[in-house]
Amino acid sequence: MNKFENAVDILKTDLADAILELKVPRPKKAYILLKPERHRDAVSLLLKNVEESMLSTISGVDLGNEIELNYHMVCEGTVTLKNRVPKEKPVTKTITDILPGANLYEREVFDLLGVVFEGHPNLKRLLLPDVWPQGNYPLRRDWTPPVTKEEDFSSEEALQTESEDDSGSIINVVVGPQHPVLHEPERFSFKIDGETVVDVEPHLGYVHRGIEKAAERMMYFQDVFLVERICGICNAAHTTVFCQAVEDIGNIETPPRALYLRTAIHELNRVHSHLLLLGVGGHLIGFEALFQHVWRDREPVMDIVERITGNRLMSGFNTIGGVRRDIDPNTIEKTLKTVKAVKKRAVFYKKVFEEDATLRLRTEGVGVLSREDALKLCVVGPVLRGSGVASDVRKDDPYAAYADIPFNVISYKECDTWARLMVRVDEVVESLDIIEYALSNLPGGRLRVRVQRKIPEGEAVSRVEAPRGELIHYVKSDGTAYPYRVKVRAPTLANLMAFPGAIRGAYIADIPSVMGSLDPCFSCTDRMAFIDTKNGKRWHWSLDEVNSSENQKALI
Amino acid sequence: MALDLFFLVRALVFPGFLFLLVLVLFFDWFERKVAARFQNRMGPSYAGPFGILQPIADYIKLFSKEDITPETTNKFLFVVAPLLAFSLFVFALFFIPIDGSNVILNSSFEGDLLLVLLLISVANFGMFLSGWASLNPYSEIGATRILTQFLGYDIPLILLAIGPAFLARSLSIVTITASQTLPFAILIPWSCALFIIVLQAELEKDPFDIPHAETEIVGGYETEYSGRKLAFIKLSEDFQFLIGASLVTMLFLGGAHGPAFYGPPEIWYAFWFMVKTLGVVFILEYIGNVSARLRIDQVVHGNWKLLIPLSLLSLALTIIIEPLLRSVIV
Repeated sequence: MNKFENAVDILKTDLADAILELKVPRPKKAYILLKPERHRDAVSLLLKNVEESMLSTISGVDLGNEIELNYHMVCEGTVTLKNRVPKEKPVTKTITDILPGANLYEREVFDLLGVVFEGHPNLKRLLLPDVWPQGNYPLRRDWTPPVTKEEDFSSEEALQTESEDDSGSIINVVVGPQHPVLHEPERFSFKIDGETVVDVEPHLGYVHRGIEKAAERMMYFQDVFLVERICGICNAAHTTVFCQAVEDIGNIETPPRALYLRTAIHELNRVHSHLLLLGVGGHLIGFEALFQHVWRDREPVMDIVERITGNRLMSGFNTIGGVRRDIDPNTIEKTLKTVKAVKKRAVFYKKVFEEDATLRLRTEGVGVLSREDALKLCVVGPVLRGSGVASDVRKDDPYAAYADIPFNVISYKECDTWARLMVRVDEVVESLDIIEYALSNLPGGRLRVRVQRKIPEGEAVSRVEAPRGELIHYVKSDGTAYPYRVKVRAPTLANLMAFPGAIRGAYIADIPSVMGSLDPCFSCTDRMAFIDTKNGKRWHWSLDEVNSSENQKALI
Repeated sequence: MALDLFFLVRALVFPGFLFLLVLVLFFDWFERKVAARFQNRMGPSYAGPFGILQPIADYIKLFSKEDITPETTNKFLFVVAPLLAFSLFVFALFFIPIDGSNVILNSSFEGDLLLVLLLISVANFGMFLSGWASLNPYSEIGATRILTQFLGYDIPLILLAIGPAFLARSLSIVTITASQTLPFAILIPWSCALFIIVLQAELEKDPFDIPHAETEIVGGYETEYSGRKLAFIKLSEDFQFLIGASLVTMLFLGGAHGPAFYGPPEIWYAFWFMVKTLGVVFILEYIGNVSARLRIDQVVHGNWKLLIPLSLLSLALTIIIEPLLRSVIV
């Protein structure tokens, strides 16, 4: 019996009185409707009895009279625990005391759906701007954009400053929204004493684009291209995971050739994402030569991606029921050749990361995230594996063609920045092996099956191992061509929780390397606000409003 | 009158200000090109042949930009500090015998090595003041880092400079260069190697480019600067780089002296100076490109626990073997 079945069994026996409905529609996916307010029991039961169980995310769904909170627990597979709260009085108990990693997820649900979590230590807005009008919860189905006047957005509120601590030698240093460490806008307020970081507070939401809301207004096949734009680097991961969820609901059998091609493009994504991060890592600790060399070696990979998909970044490769482009023998040959060349370089970089004295001085013992903290904060991907937990969705809950392809899950026990970087170096080699295997053993047959626009009623959780860690989409269908709810949890949101703990007590000089080793991608995390820079005013538009000619002019 | 004209030409044209400026721009280009090749890049390649005019283009651009002095700064210091640093570095260069003698003839004296080291230290305080006057958190951290790092490297730098002075039995740079029939780099290589490493810290190059670590504290002490004032800071840095490299040439590589292919040896002085100094720049760039930036605590620890004892040891070693070397020193 594997860990997942064990988890479901435990819930069935120990919590029989609280379970209203239990469905296991396919291996490693369970959906359990609980009696109201019993979610805390279920979560603590799983944490106690199932090793390395974590929370993926909490997705809230507006069901009309009730708001359904789905706690997606990872126990090798995904156990979704459903807790329903009445919409008139959306109050429930927090789980942050049992699982601190739920902190940001509860704030997100509070922000977008207006559910109050009693006992949450810091229940503040997460993504929406501070000047967002009260009582407006955009992800509720009955929400319409409020008619607001300009006075509603007072500019003083928008430009509020940090709480200044003028006592003693503490300096407040604000990193971001614009800063050389951050390649995307996000703000971190640091309190610094001399060269030591005393505390840090992250502020999110600078690139929140309301993609989850927009997805409800578009048809499934359009949404594939929308979710692709959540993140440029891991675009294939987002489309794969969304298509999987829809295929799961609609019982669509994807042809094997498509699955192998998805795997190949997904891994190419991982290779160039990891190489990018390793180069940036070099840059962040002042090792410019390493940065430039790694980025040059990333270029052939980008060329291959362009050759296969027609684009360097936005591949538009996956679609519901298969893939959109075939691969010809010449391209396969060219790819295998490039893979071999890049692998040689990757092995060389492993030597560099292992042997270079200055690099190790800067990364070893820096930004330590212990195994226990990693599990408690529910971090994912290379950050988790750098803390000694060999967890990888590709192995635990195989999707696409990963069940057929041999590969190793990399993990390091050092728990520091160096370990997190080494995980990525080793994974580049593993990924190149996977690509080689997938393209050498590519099955024949069709590329895609035709899929109806309307998807039957149902719900599905889908997970993939994106370059930055576990990426989870939850899709709910009401039997039309438009999804009822799409929930996205990008890996950076999970890993962000680990940053304050890892950086407290470290030196200023360690900020970039620690942040870099988490590989933050804020456009994934924030998923559009418009900002008028003249008066600091922020407001949101629906898709139709953006498309209206008047506003188009205003934007230009 | 004729003497005055000669004096002016030496001070302003060759080997004085104009020559030094061209030399500094050339070194700037050389440094960038070498670093680019180490990093598998092209480096400057548009302005002029091989991009050799790129530094000039950059400085013209900076000088023609709007001159901004932020409201919150200490205005007097903010404007004066970069100029102070710049003029001190130029002054220090006047005591480097580029064509065999100092820029101002017969201004060499017993102890000008100490004067040059002192001028470099004071000029570094100018850099520190420029950051401190900015009243910007990044600049303040950068400025503090200059001083912290200075505490670490200044003592070993002077200790190591004493080695050659001891061998030459003189504290005058001209005498030290003249007494090297065999370069001191061959006689006391340990001293030379250590000097280059410590110099790397003094020049704020990797692994010691901590005061302006861009990924940590944006521009460091120069964050608030722009336009002309930034140009002066950049020029100061370039001049400092030239002084650092030429100190190695003077103390360890026999200065401007070298074999003459024809004619009197004097006309080859400037040539040999440049060749040797470019070699030193190459070595400095090499070190900078194969290492990551260290952290300020690591630098201070490393200097006090490692470099100072090593410098003392190297000085002791130099004193012990000095009698054996007497025969090859003039």
